[in-house]
Amino acid sequence: MSSLLSGQLLFAALATGGLYALVAFGLNLIYGTLRLLNVAHGEIVMLGAYAAYWAMTMMGGAPLFALPLAALLLGAFGFALYGGLFRLALSRPALMKRIEGNSLLLFFGVSIILQNAVSLVFSASPRANKADDALIAFADIQTSQSRLMAVAITFLVCLSLAIALKTSWAGRAVRAMIQNRDAAAIVGIPLDRLQAWSFAIGFAVAGLAGALVSLFEQISPFMGFPYTVAAFVVIILGGLGNLAGSLAAGLLLGVVETFGVAATSANWRSILVWGIFILVMLLKPQGLFGGSRR
Amino acid sequence: MLARFSRALLVAAGLAGLGGTAMAQSAPPVKIGFSIAKTGLFAAAAPSQLTAYELWRDQVNAKGGLDVGGTKRRIEFVQYDDQSDPSQAVRIYEKLANDDKVDLLLAPWGTPHHFALAGVLERLKFPMVGNSAASSQLRDIKPGYIWFPTSAIPDRMATELATMMKGQGVKTAAVTGVQLPFSIEIRKFLMPALEKAGIKVVVSQEYPPDAKDLTAVLTQVRNAKPDAILSLSYPNDSVGFMTQAKELGVSAPFQFVLVGPTIDFFPKMFGPAADGLITIGHWSPHQKAWPRAKPFFDAYVAKFNARPDYLDTALAYMSCEILEQAVAKSGLDREKLRAAIAGGTFDTINGPVKFDGVQNAITPTAFLQIQKGEFHLVWPKTVATSDFQPRK
Amino acid sequence: MIRRTAWMWVGLALAMAALPQLGGDYLIGLGITLLMWIALAESWIVLSGMTGYVSFGHAVFYGLGAYVMVVCWNNLPGWAGFLGAGLAAGLFALAIGYPVLRVRGPYFVILTYGLAELVKFLIINTEAALGKFGRLVFGAPPLATLYYLMLGLATLAVLIAWTVRRSRLGLGLAAIREDETAAENAGVPVARLKLIAFALSAAIPGMVGAVMALRSSYFEPLQAFSPTVSFNIVAMAVIGGGDDAPGPILGALFLVLLSELLWAHLPEVYMIILGLLVIGFVLFAPEGLHGRLQRLRRP
Repeated sequence: MSSLLSGQLLFAALATGGLYALVAFGLNLIYGTLRLLNVAHGEIVMLGAYAAYWAMTMMGGAPLFALPLAALLLGAFGFALYGGLFRLALSRPALMKRIEGNSLLLFFGVSIILQNAVSLVFSASPRANKADDALIAFADIQTSQSRLMAVAITFLVCLSLAIALKTSWAGRAVRAMIQNRDAAAIVGIPLDRLQAWSFAIGFAVAGLAGALVSLFEQISPFMGFPYTVAAFVVIILGGLGNLAGSLAAGLLLGVVETFGVAATSANWRSILVWGIFILVMLLKPQGLFGGSRR
Repeated sequence: MLARFSRALLVAAGLAGLGGTAMAQSAPPVKIGFSIAKTGLFAAAAPSQLTAYELWRDQVNAKGGLDVGGTKRRIEFVQYDDQSDPSQAVRIYEKLANDDKVDLLLAPWGTPHHFALAGVLERLKFPMVGNSAASSQLRDIKPGYIWFPTSAIPDRMATELATMMKGQGVKTAAVTGVQLPFSIEIRKFLMPALEKAGIKVVVSQEYPPDAKDLTAVLTQVRNAKPDAILSLSYPNDSVGFMTQAKELGVSAPFQFVLVGPTIDFFPKMFGPAADGLITIGHWSPHQKAWPRAKPFFDAYVAKFNARPDYLDTALAYMSCEILEQAVAKSGLDREKLRAAIAGGTFDTINGPVKFDGVQNAITPTAFLQIQKGEFHLVWPKTVATSDFQPRK
Repeated sequence: MIRRTAWMWVGLALAMAALPQLGGDYLIGLGITLLMWIALAESWIVLSGMTGYVSFGHAVFYGLGAYVMVVCWNNLPGWAGFLGAGLAAGLFALAIGYPVLRVRGPYFVILTYGLAELVKFLIINTEAALGKFGRLVFGAPPLATLYYLMLGLATLAVLIAWTVRRSRLGLGLAAIREDETAAENAGVPVARLKLIAFALSAAIPGMVGAVMALRSSYFEPLQAFSPTVSFNIVAMAVIGGGDDAPGPILGALFLVLLSELLWAHLPEVYMIILGLLVIGFVLFAPEGLHGRLQRLRRP
């Protein structure tokens, strides 16, 4: 097909892949630092979308007000959930013994509570923000203002997170925790505080991603699950606990979804995505870029 | 403060209870059972049906109750979440009939659930008017205890759509769609119908239900410049299709979107960009020949502060009207009720309805168009409330 | 003590066998659901409970079985579809087992989920290409027949789990769970044992799927391969607890009866309560119902 060299497809791949990477970041942060498998991650995205819907459609706020608000609210929720549930859970040795399986169940519980609580408050009917902003064109790419803004924000956030992890004290402490929790504790890294912050930042980024999603898609209390799945695929592909790897894997997934479909046909989309995922797993059982050391 | 508040609550509850008993003193309430998808795949779709049931119940109760062969009895609902799982719905209806001993049944949401229930109703000898199910396969169901008021049956829709397009001078069409049963079925009948009408299909693409990015499909459509774009999509990807088509500047004078546009949020989300879209639906409040149509619309908007789904809510409400009128005649005896539904002609918001076997024999297969934010029937001429207007 | 427990299980099995004679359709339906989850969760622990390889994609076997059944229905005798479903699921596990079981920990969890999704989309694509829009099953056997089939499958699954646990195979699997590398060094044929466990835990879910396709008399890939099936299996097995046969029975009994109770009285909030209970269980009884009971019995 001749259309493979189009800027339009590249832009779409960046938009889709960037969003995957953004959603996956928080999941990987929480897994990396705490070894918790957060299957409620998509519900955090959903809450972010509802926060933005509330701020924009019900309160009449602008997107640039709604996006940080969603991030802030979900960040606070992350703090609360860590303090209210996971600090207790992590203090139980019987539970820590099989922390991955047990955390999966804990978050499974959280996920159905969140879905149904939102369904009670907002009803299960789908809702949507207005999508009537102006269109813009550059080179051979045509898109809407809010899409361009979303892509810019996505990459800005991903980039600043990467830099913060590399250079700041907290970032280095987090990376130390990902590499070896026990050693990190011995050298005096305040585990509990960093864990709380991991929750807060992971949730804030997921909330932001949800707010971005609400600019283009309908939202409903049950919209979260596909994002949980996408985020897991990304962090497994990139290697658990490997934050840079998951950024790359997110973009790769975006490329597979757009260029893969353009090169074959649309009905192969999910078969391609899952087929490539499984192939990578079988060839490199620790992900494309290797997992974190235990 | 808290104590006073809770006392106020108690008083309010007591009053409500008193009101209830005073009303019900004359006759015991009629128990009507159904299952509804509160969780799972269909959870976002099912409220369109539940709101119709609730509106109907409140309206009937406000009139003093359901007329059961002459006696007025209040309606009480018994409902369970079927988790969008047909086998769960089967279990619930068995429970409703045997355990809860409900007097009447309403339908669950979705084609698979209706199919799964057909055999159960037959076994229980319990009649139920269906609503949100449409498939040519329903004609394979033995007539007896289930009926389908919809006229949006895929094979009929396909021929009508092709005829309508031909009438508008459409020569080429792009057909995109999601791989879900309803859209697959329509595609199966639509392709030969288009060919017969002399319409050339220049793009044909199907994508899986979890596809997010449709850029590759849409650029193909844009390059082909078809006269008509038919998007055989479900609410989720209908939104994806619309947003991305708008961004990419993909449009055609004749543009069809299968499921989604009739849901309240859709025209609000897209505003003028949704103008000119064609979608399935055989009901509109603008049809003056159906005197019940507009009052239903107004009552719905007043109660829920949102518009009804022109397809599912209307169908669900119709099924209630049919049940109401049949029960008035036959009472609660199941065999008499079955005969009343099978043989009667009913006055609904969609005009008269009469069943031939399992199907609605009167309501024609029709299409809606969004015109300045309003939903008008534009096909066929016999029920049209406005003329087709090409999309700008 | 042991004898009393054994008699209790036999009594339970007999009570279940007599149920269709005692109860109406509703009770039989509830029984089928309960037995279905027991059969699925028991099969699951043969792999995941005993080896620690947590499968998050057992819906693939259930869905495959359902698909085989509806494709065979009306073309082949019913028993052929039923056995074919189990065979197909078991063979599929054997075919993919070797490479898949090299992947460990959370990677394995998501890999199994991905496999279920891949197969689901392959079947969605096949059905779309065939122009099939959901398959209706006409003339399914009566409810009581399906019930006894399910009872048979559940009993078989319990017996398999019980026997494997007490066999050399079970010892090998436990060694894999504790330390796979050490087991391999000590001469345990880990690859072969894992593969056998995988196939054993796949075959019965295939047949369960076949029965459930008849039960709902409708097949649609999105429903049949629903991840909810996989999740429920894991939740029941973990809540039941442990790696032995009684655990999943208790877990399935608890969750099925609970949802039945909450359904009836609190339809609006039962999922929220379910979520709270799952969290409570993990926090306060991480060893599961079975483990908890055993601990109570031995002070």
